[in-house]
Amino acid sequence: MKYELVAGFETHVELSTKTKIFCSCTTAFGGEPNTHCCPVCIGLPGTLPKLNRQVVKYAIMAGLATNCEIAEVAKMDRKNYCYPDLPKAYQISEYDKPLCEHGYIQLSNGRKIRILRIHIEEDAGKLVHAHGDTYVDYNRGGVPLIEIVTEPDFRSVDEAREYVEKLQQIMRYIGVSDCRMQEGSMRCDVNISVRPEGSDKLGTRTEIKNMNSINNIAKAMEYEYERQVDVIENGGKVIQETLRYDDASNTTSSMRGKEDANDYRYFRDPDLVTILTSREEVEEIKATLPELPEVKRERYIDEYDIPEKDAALLTKYRKVSEYFDEAIDGLKTPKTVSNFIIGSIFRRVETEKDKESFDVAVTPKQLNELVKMLEEKKIQNNLAKKTLEKMLDTGKPCTAFIDESDLGGVDDNALAEMCRNAIDGNPAAVADYKGGKEKALMALLGNVMKQSRGKADAQAVRAKLIELIG
Amino acid sequence: MVTREDIENIAILSKLFVAEEELDDLTKQMQEIVEFADAINNAPDSGEEFDNINNLSNVFREDEVVESLPSEEILKNAPEQAEDHFLVRNHA
Amino acid sequence: MSQIKKIHDMLSSKQISCKELTEKYLIEIEKSNSELNAYVNVTADTAMAQAEKVDAKIAKGGEIGLLEGVPMTLKDNLSTKGIETTCCSKILTGYKPIYNATVWDKLENEGAVLLGKTNMDEFAMGSSSETSYFGGATNPFNTKHCAGGSSGGVASAVGADIAAYGLGSDTGGSIRQPASFCGIVGLKPTYGAVSRYGLIAYASSLDQIGPVTKTVEDASIVYDAISDYDPKDSTCQGRKGNLTFDTVNNDIKGMKIGIAREYLDGVRDDVKEALLNAVKVYESLGAEVVYFDMPAIKFALPVYYIIACAEASSNLGRYDGIRYGFKAEHYNGTHDMMCRTRSEGFGDEVKRRILLGTYVLSAGYYDAYYKKAQNLRGTIVKAFDDAFTKCDFVLAPTVPMTAFEMGHAVSDPVETYLTDICTVPVNIAGLPAVSIPCGFDNKGLPIGMQLIGNKFKEATILNAANAYEKAAGENFKDTKWGVKL
Repeated sequence: MKYELVAGFETHVELSTKTKIFCSCTTAFGGEPNTHCCPVCIGLPGTLPKLNRQVVKYAIMAGLATNCEIAEVAKMDRKNYCYPDLPKAYQISEYDKPLCEHGYIQLSNGRKIRILRIHIEEDAGKLVHAHGDTYVDYNRGGVPLIEIVTEPDFRSVDEAREYVEKLQQIMRYIGVSDCRMQEGSMRCDVNISVRPEGSDKLGTRTEIKNMNSINNIAKAMEYEYERQVDVIENGGKVIQETLRYDDASNTTSSMRGKEDANDYRYFRDPDLVTILTSREEVEEIKATLPELPEVKRERYIDEYDIPEKDAALLTKYRKVSEYFDEAIDGLKTPKTVSNFIIGSIFRRVETEKDKESFDVAVTPKQLNELVKMLEEKKIQNNLAKKTLEKMLDTGKPCTAFIDESDLGGVDDNALAEMCRNAIDGNPAAVADYKGGKEKALMALLGNVMKQSRGKADAQAVRAKLIELIG
Repeated sequence: MVTREDIENIAILSKLFVAEEELDDLTKQMQEIVEFADAINNAPDSGEEFDNINNLSNVFREDEVVESLPSEEILKNAPEQAEDHFLVRNHA
Repeated sequence: MSQIKKIHDMLSSKQISCKELTEKYLIEIEKSNSELNAYVNVTADTAMAQAEKVDAKIAKGGEIGLLEGVPMTLKDNLSTKGIETTCCSKILTGYKPIYNATVWDKLENEGAVLLGKTNMDEFAMGSSSETSYFGGATNPFNTKHCAGGSSGGVASAVGADIAAYGLGSDTGGSIRQPASFCGIVGLKPTYGAVSRYGLIAYASSLDQIGPVTKTVEDASIVYDAISDYDPKDSTCQGRKGNLTFDTVNNDIKGMKIGIAREYLDGVRDDVKEALLNAVKVYESLGAEVVYFDMPAIKFALPVYYIIACAEASSNLGRYDGIRYGFKAEHYNGTHDMMCRTRSEGFGDEVKRRILLGTYVLSAGYYDAYYKKAQNLRGTIVKAFDDAFTKCDFVLAPTVPMTAFEMGHAVSDPVETYLTDICTVPVNIAGLPAVSIPCGFDNKGLPIGMQLIGNKFKEATILNAANAYEKAAGENFKDTKWGVKL
């Protein structure tokens, strides 16, 4: 029998606010242990939370960018459980009135992954287990998170992979998170079940917790799919449980052993007040959202005639697309800019992290100037590429090199002069050409190029020669 | 009716131990307290919504960093600490 | 007359130095505390250092504020930087906060002299202060009786004149009930009038900090000093309107007093009689009395216990032996450590309330208890809204009886819960109420009554309370204890 995979995602995304969700401590990554802490975020008795305005704004932005409805009335709840990384023994989260609901992300195969909800909550501290003991660092405690929960709409590992990449891309675009899975600023839990193909009943699901790379997610899902199919094929039953994925062995194992019965006793946090979001505020926030990658990609294809693959590369990172947008200002050939970025600049900005920040020695304006010279035929293509390399090496504008090594183009008068010289100096070649030997023109062309030390545009030389020979 | 199992279950959730010999007594006590709380079941449900006591909304803090406390302060009251961490030994 | 003003005049006119005065208080504490058990921590050094500063200022010819140099005390659930704050629980022994409660920040800035931290029921859970890890505080009128609770220590200290005033906290009557038992004034402010930042939480939606004083004017002065907006507490709005002291001596002619019949159900005869006598006093002062029914408050008690315990079960989850306070000595594994710490560190009443709170929030019971209680909370709020369309304040007994004998309250939890019947509705509805003495029973124990105001109408109830106090002053008695000014 064939089995279908059914999966849903719960993704925790750390927001890029300056301060924690309920106190004014920094959210900076790293730092010496327990140095980004205050009485509030270590939960000292008597302290009270005060909600960071930016957290609400970022969550609404995330909701709007994923087609969610934004709640007019939201509230904060306490999720009660005892664990050493949770200093108050409850996590402040949102239970039954989350900020955002009913959104979706559309995949390239046209399927929509429905987003059930996005809510805000606080992160826990970090536990380090060493020689059997536990060391607790609360620097991360109270860092704001959004949790994005999907419906069980995934039917393949590829869909899951694309979803995570898309989500990452959207959150980075709108600037609410850097979504660095390695640093833990994006973490995924996946619910997985299998069912006979064609069935519309959901099977018993397991949950794989806290995966921190797209490859691990894919491998874990594949493994868990096979495992569940095996269990069923052998007449067994899948047990509903929480699993951890082990990268090294590529297996999942049960996280049992937490003494907690899972009863979080949610109730409204009496220390915090209601969050009201007017429709006007939603519209205002909507207006500040940048063009989303999907829309941008389509526009590049339609308006600038950029190949689909290149448009995808340009829009993958917000900084790259912003660079492109700035560099094409007033140009007739945005495609040339695209080729330069993808062909030359990307070779120097290889890692994901670097592309994310896209800190390039050549400013978009400098690239713009170079392409403009090319459009005006003041420089020819090959040399333009070489110039760009020099610009990337030094950060100097193209004019610096054009002056220095005289890479300027050849103007029409000079070109005509050189062509006449070539014709006069090579009567045999002229005669051959006139006699029908097309190739003889190459000798003349070579001569002109030599005279111009390669600066002349071959097309223009060819045309001029033909014109002069008549 | 509050059962021994109820008490055992809520004791686990509350991270409290209840000794076997205390269990019956505590169950009885809790039964009395719960019966007392049950009085609200006789109250008519007016459907009156309760939001928060003064119906406050949108009390926010601006996203501006204030310097954190030094870790010595943070750890000052820790029963045990090591290497700038709160320490929980596995056995004692 | 106002104790605070009296002390202020004595200090300003150099009748006594602040050091001398503070020493007097410290000596009286020393003499009486073994019997009263009002203080759990006397901060003599801090007090003397502060007194010296005040004296230096006066010597330089500086003008001092009304609260400057006045010796006072704080309930032991108010966080004081560097000074042990235990909530009278074993689980917080040794805990020295690294920050100040906002109220203490304010009073310290005003130059208050902190004599020490006072006794209370463990985590403010109790009605006699006897759930305290340090044993109960006794009543200055008769030490065989309790001082009440949970702010029993503050009430005992102020009643016995071993503090000029103090701050307590009131979740279900914890300021008003002990004030009533000890024959003094206790004000529970409107929810949100005073910052809760630094008050170690029992039940966050019910807790408020308020003054415990000898006279109504004192309550007004202290309330004015602490009722301020605080950016650290999202639920805090501060005092709305002018200083209450501006109007505390106004005429009350034409004021409308409401009496809800339900408040008199089950109230002991002598307490009821004292209240009705007070009504006569009010009538003689030109106030009008209206009677009405408030059936909703019949359910206030279970509603209170459900909400308070639910919140407490969550608020008290953090005492796990990792960051502060007591930690079990022997254990095996982290889970075991937490459970042992909590089981050894909390007293019986606290455990009972944590268990009840966990129960009413747990799966399957939430709707029947917590959700229903929240609905009824709305009903009670509405009932008071209606009442205040008919009157300026509601007059009611503070407690249906007078101070219990020591040991009585701990023997039967549910019976003790029932004695909170008159105080809890105010916390449920977030209203201000002030308890003032209105007589004595045949054993010489004080009887109190409370004036309940509409939200942020502290000025109204303090004005009315002061009018009664001035008219019926003969009800007040000094005890054998303390500093005689």
